[in-house]
Amino acid sequence: MDRGEQMSDLFAFNGAKGAGWAQPKPSIEREILISLIPKKLRRKSLPKWPRASEPEIVRHYTWLSNRNFGIDNGFYPLGSCTMKHNPRVNEKIVQLPGMDKIHPLQPEHHVQGLLAIYFEMQEMLATCSGMDQVTLQPVAGAQGEFTAIRCIQEYHRQQGQGHRSKVIVPDSAHGTNPASASMCGYDIIEIPSGDDGRLDLEALKSAVGDDTAAMMITNPSTLGVFEHQIAEAAEIVHSAGGQMYYDGANFNAIIGKTDPGRMGFDAVHYNLHKTFSQPHGGGGPGSGPIGVKSHLSQFLPTPLAGRRNQVEADPKGVDDGYWYFWQDVGENSIGKVQQWNGNAGAVVRSWAFYRRYGKELEKMSEHAVLNSNYLRHRIMNPDPEIAKKIHVMPLNGAPADLVMHEFTLSLTPLKELHGVTGKDVAKRLLDYGVMAPTLYFPTIVPECLMIEPTETESKEVLDKFASDLHKILSEDPDLVTSAPHTTDVKRVDEVWAARNLILKHPGNESGQ
Amino acid sequence: MDQMPNLGREKEMLDVLGLNTMDDLFANIPLEIRRNTPLPLPEPQSEEEIWADASRLLGANITLEDRPSFLSAGLVRNFVPTAVAMLATRGEFLTSYTPYQPEVSQGMLQAMWEFQTMVSELVGLPVANVSMYDASTAAAEAITCAVRVHNRKAIQKGVVFVSEYTPPHRLAVIKNYTQGAEIEIKTLKHLENGEVDMTSIKDAEGCCAVYVEQPNCLGMLDDTLLDIKELIGEETALIVGVDAVSLGIIDPPGSWGADIVVGEGQAFGIGPTAGGPIYGLFACGDKYIRQMPGRIVGLTKDTDENKAFTLTLSTREQHIRRHRATSNICSNETLIALMGAIHMSLLGPEGLERLALRVAANTELTKKAISSIKGIELVDPGKYNFREFAVKLPHLASEALTYLDKLGVIAGLDLGIWWKSMDHCLLIGVDDRTSESDIESLYLGLSEWIEVNK
Repeated sequence: MDRGEQMSDLFAFNGAKGAGWAQPKPSIEREILISLIPKKLRRKSLPKWPRASEPEIVRHYTWLSNRNFGIDNGFYPLGSCTMKHNPRVNEKIVQLPGMDKIHPLQPEHHVQGLLAIYFEMQEMLATCSGMDQVTLQPVAGAQGEFTAIRCIQEYHRQQGQGHRSKVIVPDSAHGTNPASASMCGYDIIEIPSGDDGRLDLEALKSAVGDDTAAMMITNPSTLGVFEHQIAEAAEIVHSAGGQMYYDGANFNAIIGKTDPGRMGFDAVHYNLHKTFSQPHGGGGPGSGPIGVKSHLSQFLPTPLAGRRNQVEADPKGVDDGYWYFWQDVGENSIGKVQQWNGNAGAVVRSWAFYRRYGKELEKMSEHAVLNSNYLRHRIMNPDPEIAKKIHVMPLNGAPADLVMHEFTLSLTPLKELHGVTGKDVAKRLLDYGVMAPTLYFPTIVPECLMIEPTETESKEVLDKFASDLHKILSEDPDLVTSAPHTTDVKRVDEVWAARNLILKHPGNESGQ
Repeated sequence: MDQMPNLGREKEMLDVLGLNTMDDLFANIPLEIRRNTPLPLPEPQSEEEIWADASRLLGANITLEDRPSFLSAGLVRNFVPTAVAMLATRGEFLTSYTPYQPEVSQGMLQAMWEFQTMVSELVGLPVANVSMYDASTAAAEAITCAVRVHNRKAIQKGVVFVSEYTPPHRLAVIKNYTQGAEIEIKTLKHLENGEVDMTSIKDAEGCCAVYVEQPNCLGMLDDTLLDIKELIGEETALIVGVDAVSLGIIDPPGSWGADIVVGEGQAFGIGPTAGGPIYGLFACGDKYIRQMPGRIVGLTKDTDENKAFTLTLSTREQHIRRHRATSNICSNETLIALMGAIHMSLLGPEGLERLALRVAANTELTKKAISSIKGIELVDPGKYNFREFAVKLPHLASEALTYLDKLGVIAGLDLGIWWKSMDHCLLIGVDDRTSESDIESLYLGLSEWIEVNK
C-alpha cells in the first residue's frame, strides 16, 4: 500500500509565475533596481520555493492541519506540559493593531497600553509566587531557567563567591534544568530521589558544600507529588551558601495554596504557555518570565516595566492615574536574553487568560489537582468486572495517597509479563482518539506514563480515558505492540530518519 | 471561570476520592508554607469584559499603521497575507504540542520540513532547523555551535570575532550565551567606509568563528565580505546574519562560503508584534548538523513503508542529553515559523523577489530624498543599502525624533541609544509599504526641524 501518492506536496504545484499572492509593483522599474545592486552582490537564481495560487496553498495547509492533533481535537494528557484549553478571544486580542503593529523601540507615550499590561503581569506573577520582582523578557521556560541561573551567577560573583561552580538537580528534574545550568558554565550534580520518589534530604546534605551555586527543583516534582520537605531543603542549600531555584513548570498545581516564596526559593520561572494558556503552537512560542527575591533583582535583564503617578504634564495615558515607562535595570543587569522585551504576544494572551480567573486562580489549581486525583483513582480502581479482564495493572509511580496536578504510572508488570511496553500503550491510546501521555519521563519511573489532565477536562472525558486505558490493558498484546492502527501513518521509523537524514525537499524545479 | 467543566461537580468527584473538601486535596502541603489568605487579585471577568479592557488598553497605543513610520532596526512593518493567521491558528496547529507522537502530528511535521526546505533554499545552505527564539539567540547559538565544532583544531582556542556593527542588544545576548562556554568575544573591526577591515580579518585567523551581518545593522551591504571565507579558511566558521527579505535579490551567504546563516524571520509571517513572538532563522552546512541547536524534522517511513515525518537527531537535545545537550532550547517558535512558511509559500520565488524589490525601491527613494536635505549627510555614502540607512544630522537625533513625533511621523531610531558616539545619527528604515507621501512627510519634517534649529 502506498499512501504517499495521496500526499499533498507543496513543491509540486505548478501555479503561474508569481501569481500566488499578488503584490503592488515596486515604485521603480525592476531593471533599474537590479542595476543599482553591485554586480557581485546580486542573487543568481531564485530559491526553489513553491509556485502555487492562494486556493492551492489554503487547501494544502488545511490538509496538513487535518493531519495534526491538538487539544481542540481531544484529550491531551501530556504530563508536565499542562495542555489546557486555549480561550479564543486571546487570539483575537493579539491581532489588534495596538499589539501586532507595535515596534518595541517606540517611545513610551506610544505604548502606554502595552506597558500597563506588562506592569500588571509582572505584579500578578510576583503576587502568585511570593517573589519581589518579575521580568517578562525570557521567551521560553528554558530561557527563564538560563536567565535566573545567570542572575544567580552574577550575584555570587558580586559576593566574592565566584568559585561556586556546581548546580544541584534531582534525578527527576526536567532536562532543561541541567542543560540551562550547564550553558551558564556550571557543573551538574544529580542527586538520587528517595524510595518514595521525593527529594532525599540526606543525599542533598552530602551534595551541598562551599562549591554549591544553586539547587534547581520543581515542586510538585515531576512525579506529581508535593515535596513536603522543601523548606528543609531550602534551609540546607542556603546554609551552604547556595541559592534556590524553582522550576515553575508545575505551577498550575499550587496557585493560591502555597508559593515558591513561602517554600524558601530565591528565583522562579513561570511557563506562560503552561499555566497561563499561551497556546503551545506545535512547539512554541512560549514565554518564560522569571521572578526573584529582592537581592537578585539588580541582575535581571533590562528593561522592566515601571510606573509612577501621572502628573499634569504627562501626555494622555490609559486613564488609570499612572504613567508607565521602561525602567533600566542598571549596571549590574545581565543585559539581554532576548533582543527586545520578550514575547509580548504571549504576555498579552496570558494577561487575558488570568483576567478570566482573577482572584479565583486558586480554583483553577484546585480543579487541576481534583481532575488529576480523580483520573488516577479511576485508573487504579477499575470496576471488578473490568478488572477481571485486565492482564495486569500498572503501578503507581509514587506511593502517595494524593497527587498534585499530574501523576505517573509504571507499566513494568505489563512489559515483563506480556512484552507490552509503555510506548506500545501510548501508541495504542492514539487509536482511541486521545494524545499519548508523556512517555519514559521522569526516568526514575521505569516504563513511565506521565499523565496531566488539567482543569479544563470534564469528568466524562476522564472516565472515558480510564476506561480506554483499561480496555487497552485487556487487549491482545499483539494488537497493542503493533499500534497505532487508525492514525494517518502507522508507527514511524525514527531510527531510519536519523540514519538517512533527509532534512529537506528537493524543492520546486519549475521555472529554474 | 467558564473554562472548567467540573465546576459545580466537585462534591461528586471528591466523594469518589473519599475526600470532603477541595482543600483536602492539598493535605501534603505543610501548614507552615500554606497560603491562608485569598490572592489579592481582581474579580474574575467575562470574555466580554476582557475584550473591552484589551481593546481600550491596546487601543491607547499608537501603532506603526497610524503614522508614516521609519522605525525598523531589524523588525519589519509588513503586510501579512490574510490566509496566514487564519490557517496557522486552526486549532489542530495552534493547540498542539511539540510533535513527540509523529503518528498524530504529521501535519505540523511536514509543514516544518517544508519550512526547513524554504529557509535552506533562501540562504543557500543544506540544513535549517525549526526556529530559534529570535535573530539574536540564533546568532548566539550559532557561535556556541561553531566553537564546539572548531575548537579542537583552532589555534585561537575559544575565540570568536564579532563584527563591531553588531547592535548592542544582540551583542548582550551573545555575551550571555557564550560566557558559560568560556568563549572570548573579540571585535572584528570595520573601516571608516563601513567595509570590513582586512587586517582585522587577518587577526581572526585560526579562531573558531567570525560573525558578520549582511546588510549590517545600518542597512549597508559590503561586497568585500564575499571574499572573507577564503581568507579565514575551512577551520574557522563564517557566520552571517541576514535580512531575510533581502535574499530575494541579494546573493545568499551560502553561495559565498558562509557556514552558518542566521537572521530574523519576522518579515515572513507576523507583524512586529511589540518584539515577540518572532522567530530566528538558523541554517548550516552538513558538518554542523550534530552540534546544531533546536528541533529538526526528517523524512522517514512508517511500518507500511509509507512516507512519514518525525523529529530527528533528538540525541542532541536537552530532554535526552540533559547537561550535555547542544542547547537548552525546548519550546521554540514553531507556530510563528508555520506562519512564516505559509507566507513564503504564498509569495513563491517571484513574489519573494518582488517583495525585495519593493523594499529596495523604497530604500532608494527615501535615501535620495533625505540625503538631499541640506545639513543631512549619509553615514555610508556611495554604498548600497537595503531597508535601512543612517544619516548624520546637524543636532541630536533624539531631538529630531521628538520634533517629528509631534508632527505625527515616526522618523526612525536614534543611534545614540546604541552607540553614544552616534547620537547625531538617525537610522531610517523603510519597508515594502512605504509610500511616496510617507517619504514626503519625513522629508518635510526633517527639513522643517533643520530650518527651525538654524
